[in-house]
Amino acid sequence: MFSNRQQQVATGKHKAMNVALIGCSGMGRVHAEMAANCGLKIAICADKSRKAASELAAKYGAKVMTDGFKAAASPDIDIVAIATPTTTHLMFIEAAAKAGKHIFCEKPFCRTVAECKKAIAAAKKAKVKLFVGHVVRYFHEFEAMKAQIEAGKIGEPGYVKIYRGGLFPGGPKSWFANYEMSGGVTFDCAIHDMDWVRYVFGEPERIFCQALMRSKPHLMDYSQSNIRLKNGMIATIIGTWAHPSGFQVKAEICGDGGMIQYDSKEAPISTLMRDTGDGPSMVVPGSPVAESPYQREWEDFIAWVQDNRTPRVTPEDGMIAVKMAEAALKSAKTGKPVKL
Amino acid sequence: MAKIGIISFAHMHAQSYAACLNALPNAELAGIWDDDAKRGRKMAREFGAKFVGNLDKLLASDIDGVIICSENMKHRSMVEAAAKAGKWILCEKPLAPTVKEAKEMIALCKKAGVGLGTAFPCRFAPTLMDARAQIQSGAFGEILAISATNNGTCPFDWFVDEKLSGGGATMDHTVHVADVLRWIMEKEFTKVYCEKGNLLHKKEIKTDDVGMLNLEMEGGIQVSHIASWSRAKSYPTWGDVTLEFIGTGGVLNVDAFNQKVNVYCDATMSTEWAPYGDNPDMGLVGDFVNACDERIAPSVTGEDGLRATEVTVAAYKSAKSQKMVKI
Repeated sequence: MFSNRQQQVATGKHKAMNVALIGCSGMGRVHAEMAANCGLKIAICADKSRKAASELAAKYGAKVMTDGFKAAASPDIDIVAIATPTTTHLMFIEAAAKAGKHIFCEKPFCRTVAECKKAIAAAKKAKVKLFVGHVVRYFHEFEAMKAQIEAGKIGEPGYVKIYRGGLFPGGPKSWFANYEMSGGVTFDCAIHDMDWVRYVFGEPERIFCQALMRSKPHLMDYSQSNIRLKNGMIATIIGTWAHPSGFQVKAEICGDGGMIQYDSKEAPISTLMRDTGDGPSMVVPGSPVAESPYQREWEDFIAWVQDNRTPRVTPEDGMIAVKMAEAALKSAKTGKPVKL
Repeated sequence: MAKIGIISFAHMHAQSYAACLNALPNAELAGIWDDDAKRGRKMAREFGAKFVGNLDKLLASDIDGVIICSENMKHRSMVEAAAKAGKWILCEKPLAPTVKEAKEMIALCKKAGVGLGTAFPCRFAPTLMDARAQIQSGAFGEILAISATNNGTCPFDWFVDEKLSGGGATMDHTVHVADVLRWIMEKEFTKVYCEKGNLLHKKEIKTDDVGMLNLEMEGGIQVSHIASWSRAKSYPTWGDVTLEFIGTGGVLNVDAFNQKVNVYCDATMSTEWAPYGDNPDMGLVGDFVNACDERIAPSVTGEDGLRATEVTVAAYKSAKSQKMVKI
């Protein structure tokens, strides 16, 4: 009497396909779980670190590899999922496309627009599907805001502000700390919101940005983007990897007939852990949903692969998000606005 | 005991200042003049003060100082008249829409030997005073970046008539934050980039109602600021002043007027935030009254007003040129 019938997370509506995952830390683990939930088989877990690959492979009974190129070209693989540092995306995309595999690539698509173009060309030539994981488009709260705007609840929108971030990801040795590689919070985190602003409100005209990109005395990045859209709207996007702890997302959209506000701190679940002497207590806000946004992006991707249904994110969308983030970084460097 | 006159109730803050003068034990609201005589008489009745039908007459009386709350474009001539009459002056913000006028006002007051203050009440808000003390204690280390907002509802009226206001939301809602950050950081602004527009009241007004500024302070501190009249009519309060300080030692967040209780009222079918915090205007007006009594300069000076105006003027210049502008 105290047990619910087990909720079926996996839809099981998809044909079984074999997935090779390249990059088995952080987001790689999330994508493995989502792909498995879609009814796909995680056949290969590849990572430069054998330990990372083995740990994840054990969970899915997958083959362990340390060579991503080999994984991408393995004959029995249908889909290659890429969750490696951004600067390595292109080479794995090209390898997977060449081997005729469909590709799921974590955002940012690539480190430069030039690389994005090559990636798109490689997928086109090989006639494979290439998806970029701009997962914010699938977040329930962002969908809800979009729906309210489209329902006309705030009239014509004129101004939008999105704030996202928390502590610096990874340790000092993580690739995120290499700003040339990761692009810092502007390129890796604020790119989510640049994509969403464009998705909902339209094309950008120019961007001005300030970015901290500090290594001493702490790893800290803080990014303040000021974006003018072609339709005249102004967007503020603030990204932080400068907080000592936590993670927060805030959004505000102002129209001529109302406003929308969202703050992730107003979560349905929050916890305070008693200090047991093992270290500081943690506060973890949560907003559980039956189907995670990561699950929904995978469902969307697989529906494209198997049923040829156009997904919410195209590779061109991924490329324009990179273009915006690249422009923001250029602006931060030069102190001038960058036209798009 | 200081006798204070109020010149013009065009800016609604005058009503709060009048109430403060009535509440302060060492002040007397000794006279009101307004170029809108009907409004002036009404306010005189409301605050139990004398309406004086002629500005020269008010300035010739035995008052010690005046608070000027006219439309921005009229500040200069009224400051000049008051200074020439030897009266201490508290001028509503922005001190002036242009740098030239602000400098002239400062010079006129200096020549006349009268004190000139700019009405920046945020400096007297206990929340912001606390934030300043925390930043200045050094607990947050070196401050590297700041995000600020000053959002409000559209005030309409003369505020949206550029001939009387000199500018829109970017002017109206940048000066407070510019001053607060100068005061907290004890540093000046050096550069600004600005995007502005009329984005939310296209049918009703002609001035800008949103300004997004990227600024730099001395030492290269990166600052973003949003100045807007973006709060919806149905929003539960007038607006906000928020600041996020990113320091090497930690992060400090300020939501300066977030001292409220939530009220759900069936009779009006509305949700309201009822404020419980202190009224910063009491500190501002009290400081001015003391300055009049002691014949010293008010704490927030004309120069402070000028510095804030320099920021807004550069912001408008940047919005036009689409380049970062030196301040």
